[in-house]
Amino acid sequence: MAQTATGIHHRSYSSELRLRATRAEYLRLGLMLVLLIVVPFVLDNYWMSIANTILIAVIGAVGLNILVGYTGQISLGQGGFLAVGAYSSVILSDRIGLPTPLAIAFAVVLTAVVGTFFGLPGLRLKGLYLAIATLASQQIIEFLIRRDYGGFLTGGLGYINVDRFSFLGFEIGGRAVFERQWYVILAVLAVLAVMAARNLFRTGLGRSFMAVRDQDIAAEAIGVNLTRAKLTAFAVSSGFVGLAGALTAHYSEVVSWEKFTLEVSILYLAMIIVGGLGSIAGAVYGAIFMTLLPVVIRNLANALDSVMPFLGSQLPAVQNAVFGLVIILFLIIEPRGLNRLWERVKEYFRFWPFRY
Amino acid sequence: MTRTSRLAFVAACSALALGLSACGSDGGSGSGDGDGEPIKIGIIADLTGATGDVGTPYNKGMLAYIDHINAEGGIEGHPIEANSNDYAYEVPQAEDLYRQYVNDGVVAIQGWGTGDTEALHKRVASDELPFMSGSFAESLTDPNEAPFNFVVAPTYSDQMRVALNWINEDSGGDAEVAVFHHDSPFGQAPVADGQAWVEEKGYDLGYKAYAMPGGQQNYVGLLNQAQSQGAKYIVIQNVASPAALVAKDIKDQGLDMKIVCLNWCANELFITTAGADAAEGHMLVQPFAPLNVGKPGHDVINDYIEEKGINAAEVGTSWVQGWYVMHVMAEGMRQAIADGAEELDGPAIREALETMGGIDTGGVVGDGVVEFSADSHRGSTGTGIYTAQGGEMVEVEAGATP
Repeated sequence: MAQTATGIHHRSYSSELRLRATRAEYLRLGLMLVLLIVVPFVLDNYWMSIANTILIAVIGAVGLNILVGYTGQISLGQGGFLAVGAYSSVILSDRIGLPTPLAIAFAVVLTAVVGTFFGLPGLRLKGLYLAIATLASQQIIEFLIRRDYGGFLTGGLGYINVDRFSFLGFEIGGRAVFERQWYVILAVLAVLAVMAARNLFRTGLGRSFMAVRDQDIAAEAIGVNLTRAKLTAFAVSSGFVGLAGALTAHYSEVVSWEKFTLEVSILYLAMIIVGGLGSIAGAVYGAIFMTLLPVVIRNLANALDSVMPFLGSQLPAVQNAVFGLVIILFLIIEPRGLNRLWERVKEYFRFWPFRY
Repeated sequence: MTRTSRLAFVAACSALALGLSACGSDGGSGSGDGDGEPIKIGIIADLTGATGDVGTPYNKGMLAYIDHINAEGGIEGHPIEANSNDYAYEVPQAEDLYRQYVNDGVVAIQGWGTGDTEALHKRVASDELPFMSGSFAESLTDPNEAPFNFVVAPTYSDQMRVALNWINEDSGGDAEVAVFHHDSPFGQAPVADGQAWVEEKGYDLGYKAYAMPGGQQNYVGLLNQAQSQGAKYIVIQNVASPAALVAKDIKDQGLDMKIVCLNWCANELFITTAGADAAEGHMLVQPFAPLNVGKPGHDVINDYIEEKGINAAEVGTSWVQGWYVMHVMAEGMRQAIADGAEELDGPAIREALETMGGIDTGGVVGDGVVEFSADSHRGSTGTGIYTAQGGEMVEVEAGATP
C-alpha cells in the first residue's frame, strides 16, 4: 500500500484487460474469501439463515442488474421469473424425478426462455412503457400460479412441498447443520454467479449490452444487433433469476405464490438502485443491504422497546417507511448507490493526500 | 484473474465446501423439566396486516392466557416465556421470525395465517416443533403431511360443510350459494371442499366462488355478480371488516341475501362494524363459543378479565380463540411433563397431544372437547351456529357437525 499509485496506469494490453488492477483489490478479494469461510464458524443458525437469504438475493440481484443496470431494460417481472424458476425446478425434481442439480439447471434454461418471451416488448418499448409491459409479465405469471387452473401445479393445495435437497447420496441434514450445509452450496453458486456476470461484461456480448443501454441508435450504427442484444440480455438475466428462484424453493422447502408477488419485484429493483445500477458489486451490496435492513430495524425496535414502544407496535409500517425513505435518499444523494460510495472511499485513499 | 489466483480460488472454495459440510452447532432446545426453568415459545402474530382486525384480539387472548397461567405458577412450575412478534401477514416475515424462534430454542410455536403455516409446515416437521395456528385449513390436519401441525378447531372445510348443511335445510334444498373468499390460501382453503360436499351429499344447491379483492370501499360489483347467479346465500370466508362491508352493501342495496360467515368473520367485530341493523339475521358459523353465550369454560376468562379490570364487551370471540388455542398447547405441555419427559421438547409435546385423550374446554371449542390422535390432528369437528340478533351473537345450534 505504500506505493499506492495516484490513479491506475497500464503499460500493456494484458495489464489493461486484467480483472483486478491493483494490489489492494487482491487484498480485498482475499479478505472476502476469508470472510466467506469464517462466517459459518461465527454466526448462529438464525444469522446463518439470513446469510443464506442474502446469497440467494445476490444471485437474483446480479441477474436483474444485468438487465436493468447494464442493458437499460427496466423490468418489474422479477417476482414472476423467480416463480418460474422455483416451480419448474420443483416439478422437474420432485414430480418428474430428475436429480435436483439437473432440475435446477433446466429451471434456469426454462426461465431464460420465458424471460426472453416476455422480453419481446422490449424490442419496441423503452423506459416506463417497458416497465409496464414487464409488470404485465409479473401479473400474468402470478395469476397463472395463483389460480392454478386444473390443479396442475399444486393439486389444489396452493403450495408444493419440496423434498429435502439431496444429490448422489448426500442429503442436507437436520436443524443443527441445515443452514451451514446450505451456506456452502449457496456461497459457491453465488460466487460463481458473480464471477460469471463480472466476466460477461468483458466479452463482446456484454459490451453490446452496455452499448444498447448508453445509446441504442449509435449501437445499431456500429453494428450491434439490437434485437439479439436485448433478447439475450433478457435471457441471461432471467437465467440468473431462475437460479435464484429454484434455490429459494429447495432452500425453503415449500413453494407458494405468496413468495413471488409484485412486492418481491420491487424489493429487487430497490436492491439494485441502492446498490448501484450497472455494477455487479453494487448488486451484491444492495442484496446485502436490503435483506439486512428489516432485520436490523426489528432488532433496533426490540432494543429501543422501553424508550420508543411505538417502533415495536408498528414495526411492519416502520420497516416499510424506512424502506421507502432509503430509496428516496439514495436517489437524491447518491443515485449510483452504495457501489459509488465505496468507490469514492477508495479514490480518497488512492489519491490521498491529493484531492484528485 | 491469473492462473495462480484462479487455482488458489478453486482450492479455497473446495476447502470451504469440505470444511463446512461437516461443521455445525445445535440450535438448542428449551427445557421444562426440573428447576422451574421457563418454557420458551414463539408467537407469529398479525397485528397490522391484512387480517389484523381479528389477529390483534387473537394475540391479546393468547398473551392473556400466558399471563394467567404464569400467575397460577406456570405449567408444573415452569412459566411460559413467550416471544410475540407482528409479521403483518407477510410470508417472508413469518419465515424470518420462525427461524429466529428456532434459533432462540423455543419448544413450540403459535402461528397465524394459512399461507405462512403452510409455508412453514415442512420446516416445522423437520425441526420437530409443535405448531398451532389461527389457520384451520384441512391440509394441516393430516399427520403424514404435517406431523407437527395441530388444528384445534373444526377446519374451514368442516365449517363450510356445516354451513352448506344449514343452507340446504334453511332453503328447503334448493338455492344458489355464492362463496365470497379472501384472495389467499386462507380464503381458498374450503372452496373446493365445499363444492365436493354439495356433490357428495347430492344437494340441489348452486355453488360458485368469488375472490374478494382487498382494500375495497364496497362490494357492490361482487354482489351484482352473485345476484346474476341468483344467490340467496353468501358464504363468506374472510375476516370481519370486509364481511361487514358486504353486510352493509346488502342492506344499502335492499338485497334479499343472507350471509353465512365462517370462523374469522363470525364474531362480534362483524356485527359492530356492519352495525346491528345491517348484521341482523345473518348467520355465523363459529367453533369457539363467544363470551356472552356463557359456557362453563368461560368462567376462567371471566375471572381473569374481572381481576385485570378488562371490559367484558371488549373480549370478542377472536380473543377467546387465542386464549383456548394457547390453553390446548399448554395442556399438551403439562401432559408431556406429567408423562415424565426427560426434556420438554417438540417430540414430547407432540406425543402428549396425540395420546392424552380429550382436552376439556368447558364447552367453548367445537363440541366441548379437543382431541388429537396419531392418525389425525383434527382437534374437533363440531361447531356452533349463531345468528346476529339485536347486535349480539345468539346461539342457534351448539356442536353442529358436518
